Order: sequence, then C-alpha cells, then structure tokens
Amino acid sequence: MLTKQFFLDRYARLGWTFREINLRQSIRINQTNAKGKDLPERLRSLGVELEKASFLPAGYWVGKSRVSVGATAEYLLGMYSIQEAAAQIPAALFTALNGKMVLDACAAPGGKTVQLADLMGNSGFITALDVSKWRLGVMANHLERCHVSNTIVYDVDARQAGMLNRKFDRVLLDVPCSGNFASDKEWFNRRTLADIERNAKVQRAILAETAGCLDVGGEIVYSTCSLEPEEDELNMDWAVKNLGLQIQKIDCIGENGLTEVFGRKLDAQLAFCRRIWPGETQGFFVCKLKKGAEQ
Amino acid sequence: MKPLEAFASCFGGKIAFNSEFIVEKGQRYYLLSPRLKRMRGNFYYAGLYLGKVKNKVFFPSFNLLNMLVDVAANKVVVDRKAAWLFICGRDVLGKGVVKVMGSKRNGDATLVLNEFGECLGFGKVTGDFAGSGEKVSIKNVLDIGDFLRRETRSKE
Repeated sequence: MLTKQFFLDRYARLGWTFREINLRQSIRINQTNAKGKDLPERLRSLGVELEKASFLPAGYWVGKSRVSVGATAEYLLGMYSIQEAAAQIPAALFTALNGKMVLDACAAPGGKTVQLADLMGNSGFITALDVSKWRLGVMANHLERCHVSNTIVYDVDARQAGMLNRKFDRVLLDVPCSGNFASDKEWFNRRTLADIERNAKVQRAILAETAGCLDVGGEIVYSTCSLEPEEDELNMDWAVKNLGLQIQKIDCIGENGLTEVFGRKLDAQLAFCRRIWPGETQGFFVCKLKKGAEQ
Repeated sequence: MKPLEAFASCFGGKIAFNSEFIVEKGQRYYLLSPRLKRMRGNFYYAGLYLGKVKNKVFFPSFNLLNMLVDVAANKVVVDRKAAWLFICGRDVLGKGVVKVMGSKRNGDATLVLNEFGECLGFGKVTGDFAGSGEKVSIKNVLDIGDFLRRETRSKE
C-alpha cells in the first residue's frame, strides 16, 4: 500500500507543493437553451449568488444559494448544467465545431457531450460512446433534459471505435483516469501505481484506436483529471512519437506541460499541454493534438 | 407515429411529423435529422427522444411536450408558487392558475406552463378553476421534476 506521502513526494518532484482544496460548485450555461432568457438574473432572483468564472466562456461559480441549483426549473429545463470548472475546458478548445463530425469517445454521463452539442448549436453530428449501462442511462436523461438533437449514443467501448467505420473531424478524449484527491477525499487510500499504469495503458489503447478514426487535419482534445504524469504527459509523448499527432498551443489556465518527468526527457511540444494543479479548480490535464498528413 | 399523433391530439392540437425521420427502437421513438438517420446503426439513444410505449401506454418525453407548446390548444399558465409545487410533483390549485387556454372540461389533458411560457409538464383538468381556488384544478400527470426522480431511482 502506498502512502499519501509517496504521492506528495511525487508531486513535489514535479514542482507542486500539496495543499488541501475546497472545491467551489460551478455551472455552465447552455447557450442554446438559455438564449434570450437572462439566466444569471433569473437565478439571482431565486437567491443564487453567481460569479462569472473569468477563464470560462459560459461558466459561473455558485456562491451562497437559497435553493439547490440542481433542482430549479431552469436546471430541469436544460438552461444550465452543473459542471466542475476545469471539466468545462476541454470541449471549448476545439476550433470551428459547427457542422462537424465529432466523436466523444468516453462520453457518459454526458456533461461534455451536452457542452459540445451546445457549442455546435445542435448542428453537425456527435457520436458518443460509453460502455456502462448505468452511465448510459444517466446520459440519456442528460441529453433529454438539455434538448440535445445532434447526437447518437452507442454502447461501444472507445477501444473499438473503428468498428463504426467513420471518420471524424474532432475527437474528444476525456478518458477514464485515476482521478485526484481534490474530488475524492479517499483518493490517497485507494490508489496504487499499478492502477495508474493500468489506466495509462487503457488510455493509450483509446488514443491509438480513435487517432485511426480521425480525418487528416482533424483535432483530438485529450483530458484527464489525473495528476499522474503516466496518464498525462507520458501518454502525450507516446502519442506524438507513435501516432503521427502534433500538439497544438492552447489558450487555457494552468501551467505548461512537463517536458521532463522523473529524469526522462520528453518531446519539446509537451510544453503546449496544460497541467492544472488543484486550487481554484480540481486537478486537470488537457492537451490538443492535430493529425497531420499521412506519411 | 400513431402514438405520437394520438398523444398530441389529447391536447387539442395536431403535430405533423415526417414519418421518414421518426425511428422506433425498443418501443422508444426518436426524431432524427436525415444525416443522423442515415448513419444511425444499432444505437442506444439518438437525436431527439420523443417518448416510449410501455404496457400499451404512451409516455411522452419533455422534448415532445416542448414541441406541443406551439400547437396545443389546451394550456394553463401557473404562477411562481404553483410552478414550484408542480415540479415537485404536486397538483395545481385553482388559485395558482394565471391563465387558461383551450379546454376546461374535466379529464382533458393540458400543458402546464410557467410565467415565462416554458413547459413544466402536463396534467388533467379537474374543472375547478373558479371559487375559492383551494381545490385542485389540474391533476399532475408528468412534470420536469421527473428528471430528479429518475436520478434517484437509478442510484437505488
């Protein structure tokens, strides 16, 4: 069993000093459904204190509230979603989503799928994959609540995305990961390096499969809420070296991705990734990749 | 197609679906764009979910109820307090009704809208719109609070 100190030492070697985090609740306005409704004002009239999150196009921090933001009519009518602030970042990093063929490869419970559909104004076509029956059910509710109409959901493992025989312009890979302590108080008691290695291997399999479904010139946004470099920079380094993908610069909060991990030098492009240590948001890692011309 | 149109007619309205773009899977109905329909394959959920048939009864989705707002004749607008109680699963009392459009006949289906004209669900008219207003005028059949109830059920 690894101790909390083991992970804290790792983080220190990566340049971050541990501190306890209290996450603030955040919401994301679904622009398509809330159009013309002055939603922030409606919520304030219900006694919900809102503060605009400066780094998110449609995100707000929720302060004190007289009502549960997960039970208002506005929420049930799909005008906004409750979505952790860092989790709102990946879908917003794609360029020109309107009318595009998009793959959301690890989609359930659907928060980012709804966000993609909103950014696309329900145009184009989203293919959403997941394998957990329970999570697919939650996702179906989410899509209905938010009136999403451009999405088809399949009970398919992302590692078999090729069986759909489709080419995509954009691929969102919010891959299953080890998570982090900011959103799981028991995290340090639960996790082992073997877990992390196992997850990293699954993530590489998903990357390899979905990169094969990406059109030339297409974009992948890869994200995890893991702080472990095996699931973040090391996987991106592997993708650059093995899948013919190039990392793109992104405009986003956080620090540059690591270009050296535990003495191992990585491709210089890794600096374009963003590593968000827990603080204002939960811990997060995000990277945008582009597929160049085939060799 | 038939259950959808039959359901719409309960509200004194007519809704014209292009049958070409309605797909039925497992007694669930979905409205798909031509592109989605062409590529659908063996899906779990697709396009705009419209409702399902279970034990020969049609259960509409909230997407379908939303589509009916513009075509249904039977609608009631309720005040803020009644709207809140309605989405908590309660019936609408006469005093909570701000405006009635269409049928006031006992047993008829009517959409329930909030002060912004947004559809909160539907109910059955019980006829008591006048008087003290303490009597039930709309019996709740389905409201958007159902999303939360489904969540609770799925956790159980």
